[in-house]
Amino acid sequence: MRELDPVIHAQARLRVVATLSTLGAGDRITFPRLQELLGMTAGNLSVHLRKLEDAGYLEIDKTYRGRTPTTLVRLSRRGRLAFDEYTENIRALLHPDSKET
Amino acid sequence: MNPDDDPPPLDAASAMRLIREQRAATAHSLEPDPRLHYWPWGVAWLVGFGLFFLRFSPDGRTFVTMPEWLPLTALFVLLGAASVVFTVGSARAYRQVTGESARRGGWYGAAWGLGFVSLFTVAGRVSDSLPHDLAGLLWSALAVGLTGALHMAGGAIWLDRTLFRLGLWLTTINIVGVLAGPGWHALVVALAGGGGMLVAGELARLRRRNLP
Repeated sequence: MRELDPVIHAQARLRVVATLSTLGAGDRITFPRLQELLGMTAGNLSVHLRKLEDAGYLEIDKTYRGRTPTTLVRLSRRGRLAFDEYTENIRALLHPDSKET
Repeated sequence: MNPDDDPPPLDAASAMRLIREQRAATAHSLEPDPRLHYWPWGVAWLVGFGLFFLRFSPDGRTFVTMPEWLPLTALFVLLGAASVVFTVGSARAYRQVTGESARRGGWYGAAWGLGFVSLFTVAGRVSDSLPHDLAGLLWSALAVGLTGALHMAGGAIWLDRTLFRLGLWLTTINIVGVLAGPGWHALVVALAGGGGMLVAGELARLRRRNLP
């Protein structure tokens, strides 16, 4: 078994990634709604998003909706893979005997 | 804050619990109670078509005396209210999420709107040449048929079993009702159609509650 991904193996960032993984692959969510879903402060969430973005797990777009600046977030393909792999590894730790395909 | 202050989950079990709870909470927020989607339509059909049956009863009779305009008005008011509840509920749940889901929802909504415009155009053009009872049957049978087909299409788009089965059910009872004839069609649609929507709402809620 590979080691657990240190970027995701952290309580707050795991929650961020788990939330984003629930959205469809083609969907993006605004920063305030993500913040509301997670119940984190804006500053706290920004720090975690930056760290995830640095790892290549997120795509963050700053754009405009009308005149309001909006930040849109989604899990990148790489982030989704990393989350799937992390979940598989956790599952393997919980059930070492069963081999999941 | 230093991001490395973010401590790892205590163990594998708590990591898994965290993932499950977070995903469930997100899904909950993005998909409102399914009863909110199904029940307003169910009530509209039950009451609206129920009044139709009582006023324009089989064999040209009238079981309950009421103004001729009342059943259709009640049906349209209730359907209008249901569509407001449905649209506001969906828009609220998916607010601030953009992309494919929003586009899918928008196009599906357009299919409903345009489909009914096309249907009403046809029925409006033809029904004047028909006897009163057959004209009523034409309107409601076309509307129920299109509703059934769109429910099945929705089930196919979102791979939603409940939605697809409801569409199948509405299509079936529509055919049965048409074969039974004017008056009876309204009764079948009110009870089996409206009732079917109420049941579908409850099934969808139970299914969602049982998700991991």
